[in-house]
Amino acid sequence: MAGKSGRTIQSVQKNSLKSTLLSWEGALAILFIALNIFNSIISPSYTVTNVLREMPKYLCEIFMLFPMAYILILGDIDISVGSIVCLSATMGCFVCNTGLPVGLSFLTCLAVGTLCGLLNGIILTTFTELPAMIVTLGTQIIFRGIAEITLGSGGSVSLKNTAGYNAIAGKVGIVPIVFFLVIIAAVIFTVILAKTTFGRKLYAIGSNRTAAHYAGINVQKCRLIVYTIMGLMAGLCGMFLTSALFGANTTTGQNFEMDVIAMAVFGGIATTGGKGNLIGGIISAFIIVLLRIALGQINLNSQLILVIIGALLIIAVLIPGISSSFKAKQKMKAVE
Amino acid sequence: MNSKTQKKSIWKTIGKSREASLVLVLIVLCVVVTIMNPTFMSIKNIGEIFRNNSLTMIMALGMLCVLLTGGIDISITSTLAFAGMTIGLLQKYDILHNTFLLFVIAMAIGIGCGVLNGIIISRGKVTPIICTMGFMYIWRGLAYVISNSSWASGADVAGYSDFGQSAGPYVILVVVYVIFFIMMKWTKFGRKIYAVGSNAEAARISGINVNNTLTAVYGIMGLLAGLAGALSVSVYASAQPNMQYGKEMDVIAACVIGGVSMSGGRGSVVGTFIGALIMAIIAKALPLIGIDSIAQNTIKGVIILVVVILNVVTQRMMDKQNLERRAM
Repeated sequence: MAGKSGRTIQSVQKNSLKSTLLSWEGALAILFIALNIFNSIISPSYTVTNVLREMPKYLCEIFMLFPMAYILILGDIDISVGSIVCLSATMGCFVCNTGLPVGLSFLTCLAVGTLCGLLNGIILTTFTELPAMIVTLGTQIIFRGIAEITLGSGGSVSLKNTAGYNAIAGKVGIVPIVFFLVIIAAVIFTVILAKTTFGRKLYAIGSNRTAAHYAGINVQKCRLIVYTIMGLMAGLCGMFLTSALFGANTTTGQNFEMDVIAMAVFGGIATTGGKGNLIGGIISAFIIVLLRIALGQINLNSQLILVIIGALLIIAVLIPGISSSFKAKQKMKAVE
Repeated sequence: MNSKTQKKSIWKTIGKSREASLVLVLIVLCVVVTIMNPTFMSIKNIGEIFRNNSLTMIMALGMLCVLLTGGIDISITSTLAFAGMTIGLLQKYDILHNTFLLFVIAMAIGIGCGVLNGIIISRGKVTPIICTMGFMYIWRGLAYVISNSSWASGADVAGYSDFGQSAGPYVILVVVYVIFFIMMKWTKFGRKIYAVGSNAEAARISGINVNNTLTAVYGIMGLLAGLAGALSVSVYASAQPNMQYGKEMDVIAACVIGGVSMSGGRGSVVGTFIGALIMAIIAKALPLIGIDSIAQNTIKGVIILVVVILNVVTQRMMDKQNLERRAM
């Protein structure tokens, strides 16, 4: 049975070493190793301790990669997440500054994020004709707008009491807590996607929404759940971003949505839906994070990273197209 | 009785024609704002609206073409920054000061960026949003790299910025809109764009070179982004690598408010113009009627959502009515 992706689904999957290495994830893993070697050559301060110390502020974006991968597999998109991060970080800061216990501030971050995601989901599932792009564009502007109103004319807020947020920015040995959380989240989301009915439903919806609907899958319920989780994880990202920056401003989280989508697409998840898995996404996320750290260490113009990410992204999306057209040509020749 | 049916048909045309209902919204908006603050309808104010929003209005035309083909281009403001930064630097280092040539260079850079987008999207079969996202990073990053994250200040572009304060932006705006109005309505190329957007497969079978049309459309988008870059440096009298950051969403929003469908094949130049104008007027009017300009973004977002949701609701009602009529 071939899906929209052209992938055949077998009852028993064969995994030879060759096919593992030649798959997209295999290529990414090789690139990941090569990058580490490259980084340690160009930057003398590229050590485990240093990298782990600089990691937290980049790691929180990865929280959003997992639900974004779900959304892309559904064939949808969410470009409002950067604004959700901004809004939840802002609200979290304000709650913390009023003197309430810091736990309440964390809860605010998560609750605001979840509510925003839920709102996206409700609009999208009530008016199913609307493209996700335009709805989340609208909410993107609204969420950041609300954050702007809350922040007032100054446009920024900083934590008065950083003790609580310092706690979650802490370390176990040399490994930051947020690193463990990212790994735990990665395992949970990967297992759900690969091994549960819910994960298979997502692929089914992404491959063919109408067919999935007729097969008895509650498409809109799945979308609502995934968008809400997206909001929750964006809130989590906002919470950890606050712990790294000790404040929020109107540009907090700007362009995060594009960073996250870039990570996912570079990891082999197609925006047309139904294709890709989280392992590729996670490796690609760490490739981008490590590249940023290394380029930061050697004092290169930090914006050069934008050019590199862009180029990687375009190459990554061009390769499957080129290789499939190459294969098609070979097939044509074989037929002749 | 007769007049009643007449009235009904007027309402029907307004309801059916997207442009007519948009004009109605525009008029209501203007009247309400003018009643609350009469200074709104001054020539100076209206001139400012057009000058400050000429970039969005010009790029909205390119975005209209791209959306008509069913694609999207989110790299435009990066192209704008790259082209604008290039001409800013040319002046900063005293290489070139000829306004006309600078415009040509910016537009040439824009075409290059756009055509590259078009080739990758049409030949490489890459999803438009991903391809343009890649270039969004690349051009923006290059704008930072070539300028070494510095600015070209007002003093650097002194002579050049006179153009932006003259009638220049208005002339360009009018010329571009007239050209596009004619192109989309009466030329073969314009009809090809609609054909590709409505049904690419049918267009291909009927002999339209879809790949070339797509490449041309993205090329035009790039050209307009380059032009907007040149205008931006001129109007705001400075060039920064982060200029117009994130404004591509405003351009898309203007198109969507103007009735351009995101799935392709539906939309018009007039609608796009009114959509861009509505957004511009809201931005300008809020401070005038006593709403803090901080709330501007929230209101903008709400309007976008309301417009697209209203669209769906009216469409559903019309479908339902049609079904009922058929049942009778």
